[in-house]
Amino acid sequence: MKNILFDASLCNGCYSCQFACKDEHCGNDWSPIAAPQPMTGQFWCKMEQHDRGKCPEVKVQYTLHMCGHCDNCSLLEYAPDCVYRRDDGLIIIDSEKARGRKDIMEHCNEDLLFWNEELELPQKCTGCAHLLDNGWEVPRCVEICPTQALRVVEDDELPENATNLPGQEGKGSHFFVVNIPKKWIYGCLVDREKNEVIIGATARLIDANGAEVATLATDEFGEFRFKELEDAEYEVTISADGYKDVTLAADTTQEDVVLGDIFATAA
Amino acid sequence: MQIADKTTHKNMSLCSFGNGANLTTVDALNGKVVRMRPAHFDEYYTKEDLNYWYINAKGHTFEPRMQTLNSPFSFMYKTRTYSPNRIPYPLQRVDWDPNGERHPENRGKSKYKRISWDEATDIIAAEINRIDKTYGRNSIFAQGDGHGETGSVHGPHGSMCNLLDMTGGLTMQARQPDSWEGWYWGAKHAWGNEPLGQNTHQHNLFKDISEHSDALLFWGCDPETTPWGWSGQQASRLCFWFTEIGVKQIHIAPDCNYANAVHSDMWIPVLPNTDAALQLAIAYVWITEGTYDKEYLATHADGFDWFEYYVLGKEDGEPKTPEWAETKCHVPAYRIKALARYWASHVVSIGHCNGGSFIRSCYSHEPARLEVYLLGMQGVGRPGVNQVKFIEWALIGMDSFNPLPPGYFLPEVRGCYHGAVLGELPRSFIPKTLVPAAVAGEHISWYGHTTSRHHRTDQFEKFEFPQPGDAGVKMIWSDSPCWCTCWNCGNAYEDALRKDNVEFFLVEHPWMENECCYADIILPISTTLELDDFGVDTYSGQFNSIIWEDAACDRVGESLSDYEAVLEVAKKLEPYGGKYRHCVKHYSRFKSIEEWREEGYDKCDIPEAWKDLDLLKKQGYQVMMTRYGWEDEPAGMIEFYEDPVNNPMETPTGKIEYYSSALAEGFPGDKERGPVAHWIENGPAHPDERIGGERAKKYPFLLVSNHPRWRVHANYDDCPWTREIETCKVIGPDGYAYEPVWINPVDAEKLGIENGDVVDLFNERGTVMGGAYVTERIMPGAVYQDHGAHLDTIVPGIGGIDRGGANNLICPAATSSTNAAGEVTGGFLVGVRKSDLEGLKAKYPEKFAMEHYTPETGLCWMDYVVEEA
Repeated sequence: MKNILFDASLCNGCYSCQFACKDEHCGNDWSPIAAPQPMTGQFWCKMEQHDRGKCPEVKVQYTLHMCGHCDNCSLLEYAPDCVYRRDDGLIIIDSEKARGRKDIMEHCNEDLLFWNEELELPQKCTGCAHLLDNGWEVPRCVEICPTQALRVVEDDELPENATNLPGQEGKGSHFFVVNIPKKWIYGCLVDREKNEVIIGATARLIDANGAEVATLATDEFGEFRFKELEDAEYEVTISADGYKDVTLAADTTQEDVVLGDIFATAA
Repeated sequence: MQIADKTTHKNMSLCSFGNGANLTTVDALNGKVVRMRPAHFDEYYTKEDLNYWYINAKGHTFEPRMQTLNSPFSFMYKTRTYSPNRIPYPLQRVDWDPNGERHPENRGKSKYKRISWDEATDIIAAEINRIDKTYGRNSIFAQGDGHGETGSVHGPHGSMCNLLDMTGGLTMQARQPDSWEGWYWGAKHAWGNEPLGQNTHQHNLFKDISEHSDALLFWGCDPETTPWGWSGQQASRLCFWFTEIGVKQIHIAPDCNYANAVHSDMWIPVLPNTDAALQLAIAYVWITEGTYDKEYLATHADGFDWFEYYVLGKEDGEPKTPEWAETKCHVPAYRIKALARYWASHVVSIGHCNGGSFIRSCYSHEPARLEVYLLGMQGVGRPGVNQVKFIEWALIGMDSFNPLPPGYFLPEVRGCYHGAVLGELPRSFIPKTLVPAAVAGEHISWYGHTTSRHHRTDQFEKFEFPQPGDAGVKMIWSDSPCWCTCWNCGNAYEDALRKDNVEFFLVEHPWMENECCYADIILPISTTLELDDFGVDTYSGQFNSIIWEDAACDRVGESLSDYEAVLEVAKKLEPYGGKYRHCVKHYSRFKSIEEWREEGYDKCDIPEAWKDLDLLKKQGYQVMMTRYGWEDEPAGMIEFYEDPVNNPMETPTGKIEYYSSALAEGFPGDKERGPVAHWIENGPAHPDERIGGERAKKYPFLLVSNHPRWRVHANYDDCPWTREIETCKVIGPDGYAYEPVWINPVDAEKLGIENGDVVDLFNERGTVMGGAYVTERIMPGAVYQDHGAHLDTIVPGIGGIDRGGANNLICPAATSSTNAAGEVTGGFLVGVRKSDLEGLKAKYPEKFAMEHYTPETGLCWMDYVVEEA
């Protein structure tokens, strides 16, 4: 079966994929593949935003969540009477047979499966099966993506570092994400007396065992950025000629660390 | 399964005035739109057909793609067409009696009753005739330039102007360059670049930057938001491209906007409308360290010594040091120095995207001129050193405004366009920024025609309203109205609309929004999806295309297009005879819509050899090839750079003018826009709008009010799919969807405000409410609320209260400066406090009991209408 790959490094957060899904399904009846989705509240293709960092080093991380039409689909296993797999691999909840089946709601992640109160129906992504049956090659969310952050790929086209979303791991999900930056640490070294940034200072990243993980020189703005870090309790030591060393704790276990403007004092 | 039974194509941009972008494919089934999607050029064309283009730089390649790059707004438009807030039939205010009491004081308060088109047009024709005979035609004031859909045959903007003009005249609203005031009122005096004041020499600039620039400064610029309404998402792809090839992206703005959040290599937060201080300090570093291009200035500039004299403090005793600037703009002095030195030692261009507090605050002409000065000091025009825009790539039909590979011609819609043409004004007109005063009956005067098509010298000509012998505004006829939500001090306009002298206020609009609820008669208008039309796509940054726009779906309610509505009025005017004789024929030229569309194509400038109406009708659109040899065309201002004598700028000296002798002569003694750009702490127009003044003690924050992320100005605020996104609306404890107010955690803590609280933004002009969105994406000292939220008035007028969060209501009414009639819609002082929701609810219970309001779509027309018997 083909896969959908979300490349976070190409996502601009425009939500077109989420809107396209709603454009296709809200108010449109594609039964028995998909009954109408309510106008709001369901996200078969769901963009999530997560703010990272602090002023003046702030990034917004966008991550897409959608059904992976898993090889080991727990819905299919639990309710084969109203859930089926098509020849192309897509898992469909039959919009006629599944009426009233609230019991199946607990058999998949709550952000992928939705209960339609009005129709008394469990609903989820169909992979736009009704469009594929009419000659479309990709679902709406993929077709619409202006930056090609979302693509349909074969197994052998999947990047090595592509992963499944938490909750979909180990189930044979066909939805993959790649290039979500790991934790980072930012700082800027400053001589506030002279009102100058300090260029060329050495910033060393030390882990909890005292081992040096990385070393950077402060750039033309006095700044340093350690990237692609593990979740860990680090220390950053900054040394510059004529200044006392500065050592600061930088704990990335919960979030990225903005050390901000660090005022060095003359040695 | 049938997934569509009809497929049509539409230009879905909201550029208005006939220009277009965002070609979109629309599928319908059983008369209803079922989906909107990108158009795929390869359906009909090969890359060879289109002379497909590539920009190659640093071993990488950028290409336009073979499908349209629509903004997300293209894909949600059916929620607009089928909005529960669509006005279904003509409405008349219940206590407005054209033959009796008119109760102007109740506008905005009283409700509406259903009338027929026949009744409505009878009344309108009678009122036009009466007002004309009683006061003269210049008492009919037409506002035909609001923000709205783009149409050609059905021209949503100003269709009424043509009818009024051909039957005796009108007073017309003159729309000023509202998204980029500073360039128009300031930069033109420094470098010409007529008629816009922004760099109008943008050919090949994205290629030039890709090849030569080390960095791009995004100065108050959000390529991930502002282009959405006009041009789509090529700007976004360009930002990814600059990351790919290592062009450093430095964002300078108070907010971490949506492009900054994804693309930036560095963010330099600066307080709103204090960029001039930052710019002066950069100049100070360059001058004192000698790191600017003296040779260039000797041959390309005039009057630099005046600027140097001012920067060094010789004029006012205050050297414009980074330390001085820090107190004004809150960028630390050390970061200013680092930026100045980086800039001086690298190849740097500046990118812009309109809007924000950089270019439309008080005295916005000063940061605009200062940017030109700084670019000049680094030899603007040199490869990699230019000013480039990420939006409006064919503005006012200028081929040279397009920084991407161009086509052979820019398709136009003028052959079938029924709207008002921007810049073509009758004798009597009112600048849009001065409308509240003019409508309120004041005698006003100002300089310039104020529209973006006029030359710099026009800014020295004085005008007045009413003109001698005229009676002032007695009737207002408005389409796509959005003055209150998009211009300067809507509360003043709400007061003006309730004056006795406004005897009749007529509005055409599809939705019950903005100032519709102040009208006496409202005509329901069709949306673009319901109409046959002719369109072009020239802003998208891929290829130009021509669009045969068939209606995608059935009409909603009793709606007509603006053109059709005006035609219905014309039919009722004709029996009055005299000047109205044959006015239907004159207006429509007896052409059917189909004939107009064909005429549009015939006159769209397409070469005869490419003309193929049958093909256009069959395909729905026709894509135009890229110009051969575009790669070799001069990039940006390179010709001026290489030979300024033979390629002069459009200033009096032909050079970059650091001292504008024209301003010196035209406005001697003007301390707000003098011959040399300055930091203006205050002046007659804005005596106290800075953080150092007295008012800041009561209103300590500077407001960022950008072009909205989830709207196009005031359009789309009823879209249920955007409103469920956390940056679009904040659901208050009362279940109401409030417009977010971004507050830095440091400020929120001081104010005792928590995320999700309902808050007031306020000053002496009024209060607008919002939902607290506590975020690191805004710097301390500034707060952010997008402009254009729906009006939800609790108390109208100056000192009033608005629940919707339409912060244009409380902007300064004063213009850019005393002699510059631009708008001030950002970077002004506000206070922030937690709202007294219970107190308001107790005091104004009816305003908190809108029966048909839903947080999903907002206000509904049904709450404005009396129940039918």
